Amino acid sequence: MSGDILKDEQQKAEQLLAMNMLTPENAVFRETAGGFVAVTVNGEDKGHVNVIRTFPLSDADEYLSVRLPDGKQEEIGLIEKLTDFDETTVEIISKQLKLRYFMPRILKIIEVKEQYGYTYWTVETDKGKAKFASSSGSAGAVIRHGEGAIVKDSNENRYLIEDISRLTPKELKKLDLYL
Amino acid sequence: MEHRKALSQMPENLKKYLLENELISGKPLIFAEADMTLECEFLHHVLILTDKGLTVGSAPELTKELIKNAPSPKQEREWERYAFENYPLDRIKKCATDSLVVGGVLRLELDGVERPLCAYTNAYKGGINRICDVLKLLMDGKDIPEDKLFREERIEKCPKCGRRYPNRDRKVCPKCMDKRKIFFRLGSFFKPYAPQIVLMCLMSVLTAAMSTVWPYLNGSILYDGVLSKNKNILFLDKIPVSDFFILLGLLAVTMAGCKLLQQLFGIIQGRAVARVVPNVVSTIKKKVFGSIQRLSVSFFTNKRTGGLMTRITADANQVSDIFIDGIPHVLPNLFTLGFAFIVMFSTNWILALTAVVSLPIAAFISFKLQPRMWHYNSKMHQTSRDYRARFNDNLVGARVVRAFGMESHEEESLSAENDRTYDAQYSAMKFDIKFSALYEIAKSLTALLVWGVGVCFVLAVFKPQMTYGQLVTFTGYVSLLSDPANFFSHIFRWWSGSMTAAQRIFEIIDAKPDVVETTSPVEVKDLKGELKLENVTFGYEENREVIKDVCLGVPAGKMLGIVGKSGAGKSTLANLITRLYDPNSGHIYIDGTDIREMSFADIRRSVALVSQETYIFRGTIFENIAYANPNADKRDVLNAAKAAFAHDFICKLPDGYDTYVGTGGRSLSGGERQRVSIARAILADPKILILDEATAAVDTETERNIQSALEKLSVGRTTLSIAHRISTLRDADMLVVVEDGKIVEQGTHDELIRKKGTYFKLVQIQNEALKLRGIGD
Repeated sequence: MSGDILKDEQQKAEQLLAMNMLTPENAVFRETAGGFVAVTVNGEDKGHVNVIRTFPLSDADEYLSVRLPDGKQEEIGLIEKLTDFDETTVEIISKQLKLRYFMPRILKIIEVKEQYGYTYWTVETDKGKAKFASSSGSAGAVIRHGEGAIVKDSNENRYLIEDISRLTPKELKKLDLYL
Repeated sequence: MEHRKALSQMPENLKKYLLENELISGKPLIFAEADMTLECEFLHHVLILTDKGLTVGSAPELTKELIKNAPSPKQEREWERYAFENYPLDRIKKCATDSLVVGGVLRLELDGVERPLCAYTNAYKGGINRICDVLKLLMDGKDIPEDKLFREERIEKCPKCGRRYPNRDRKVCPKCMDKRKIFFRLGSFFKPYAPQIVLMCLMSVLTAAMSTVWPYLNGSILYDGVLSKNKNILFLDKIPVSDFFILLGLLAVTMAGCKLLQQLFGIIQGRAVARVVPNVVSTIKKKVFGSIQRLSVSFFTNKRTGGLMTRITADANQVSDIFIDGIPHVLPNLFTLGFAFIVMFSTNWILALTAVVSLPIAAFISFKLQPRMWHYNSKMHQTSRDYRARFNDNLVGARVVRAFGMESHEEESLSAENDRTYDAQYSAMKFDIKFSALYEIAKSLTALLVWGVGVCFVLAVFKPQMTYGQLVTFTGYVSLLSDPANFFSHIFRWWSGSMTAAQRIFEIIDAKPDVVETTSPVEVKDLKGELKLENVTFGYEENREVIKDVCLGVPAGKMLGIVGKSGAGKSTLANLITRLYDPNSGHIYIDGTDIREMSFADIRRSVALVSQETYIFRGTIFENIAYANPNADKRDVLNAAKAAFAHDFICKLPDGYDTYVGTGGRSLSGGERQRVSIARAILADPKILILDEATAAVDTETERNIQSALEKLSVGRTTLSIAHRISTLRDADMLVVVEDGKIVEQGTHDELIRKKGTYFKLVQIQNEALKLRGIGD
């Protein structure tokens, strides 16, 4: 009896320690009727899974963690490179990633105004004009992200500036103090 | 009546529309909103949960303007254009939410197929989680506790101007906060120093008066009177001195006297400032610190306390600044401005106009560019702070750096940080030069213009003719104007900033503790120490319960062991029994009295906590032990230390019980600290003793010592012992196993072993681990 329990625990620990790499050879991804990503690993259907970026800022399509959606959200495995998979799989997973890491893209900075201890932003995004406030003074309202930057408002919503070098000098001047 | 309160969050016209058109069935329970589609588009959704099912309405078109926490206009929605869909309860099998980086997704299992319903950003997270919770209860056919429906919606907009609060956790509208009220409240801090403040104002007016006399002396009187040997100028004819050399000497003495007086007034003012400022700042700090002590523990775990002390100090200084460098200078500046204007306009209105028209340029430049200057400066300070922090990291981590051979890497990254500091300083200086140059040019422009036009008057190109001395006096007044102009261009912004800082300070002073002591406590005498928990549910955050419906009873004088994995909620139980937090629902009784009915003093006297976090404050070991009972004498402390096995190590210290410990003092080892805290608990002589992993941080031998100390201590007391090392709980009269906030097993050691459940499993694993260690040895 006690041996069984121990074996059980040891197995669990080993499972946690193992790096399960998911490759086109051992994993098949599909879209469920409800529109979720599901996966079959070595013939075993794991059902609906969530795909999470382990390096969301520095490497968006490498080392994706595939996890169960409920309970302890156990990891099923890691995808080393998304592009190793076929087009349909890439499409299914990208769709989910797009929603998970969604941020409106800032196309134009209209105004950055400091008032009453907060920074009020008016920007043009790909989803329409946006107005929001970030608390000034606190570091990290704008974080650098590759060529671009991410602006975080005080509700932790995020907005993406894709490429800072593409901003006009005027916009850059408005942003300069926060970079 | 019941659900009206919860539904009040739901727009009245929506409720009316839904009921009229029979779009919902059953009794509406709860309402929520969402703002995104699964295709990452912004679309407004409403969700209405009734006891028959869930109804989701989606807006006819995408949201065009994303207004997050900026001012937003009130929106009227056209519900008849919304598309409503109904999901009856019997079709829903599962309901869950997925957290996304921002916000989340709500998903349902409908007719056997799991599908996402809508997505939402952070602002709507709370509402959706609540709807999901209630839906789960409905599916399980359980009763819905009232607080699930009645929970207060966070107010996120200023009720006065509709502006969203820039920070959701601080319900302060920076625009509408009553700055005047804050100002007068601040004034009360300065009240005890009224004589000094009056003196300061008087001195600054006198200084201003002196400075307005100056241009007269060095202009009209010097040039037109004394140097031109003209007795008709001003009051020179009234001085019975005929020799102009003596007059010149007299003038020189007067001018020197003027400057001396000005200095004297300055010194008197400075002394008054030196008396008032530090006193006011320290009063503010004292008040803030006092109220921090009153606040509940939850305040400190809240993230906004980051850098609390630095912020309080900075805010207090900013507040007193305006009272020292701002307010007292309003009067003299007004005086200078008015006086100079009158003299200028009465001397020569055309020239006066020339000055007045060009003067605002400088003030405008300063108004526009100064804030950028401040920003560059704060950036400069930020980078040098970063550099210092990096440097400090390197020094603290010297062992690790060398162990991994990363010296050159550290050097590089430090030099990169240094470069950033250099860049920031360079751009700040560059801007400073640019700013000063522009400002000085604008100022000189005024002076040049006045000189230029003035010379035309002196040369009688323009009429009426002016004397040279008059012109010097005039330009003297023009230069007097620039300071007040600059002052008034900034004072409002300055004032506004100071009031914001003051608001932050008052927020702390006024903060209400979450755990409030009852005003009429039940008097408890001769406590026996019987402890009872009844349906206790608690969570540190909204919608996240850490303790779920826990019932427990410990008879007086018995020992209860609490076992469970880390994160199961064991320490939270200790926090609740010591009333650091209040449960969301349920009751805790000591000897049959609800602890909410007891005074704080009674609770603290009857319950003591020895936890893994030992708190040693600055002071001697004696003071540290006597902390729990300030009336204790040396003998009591010695007894307690002896009982805690602390006496021996204390004796070995050169200064014994007088050894200074804590920050800056001698550092104690983990086991020593632990024993000092146990001695403190012994001295407190509580009826209920909670040991929260009290021996987790020490070696086996020390543990054995402490264990025997604790055994001694727990005799005749109700003891709650929390541990993950089961061996420490062998002597417990009863054991409970906590898993995921719930009690899953309960009984004596033998009973639980026989049960072969979770406890049995834990014992097996730990025994095996010990065996393995045996082999290793």
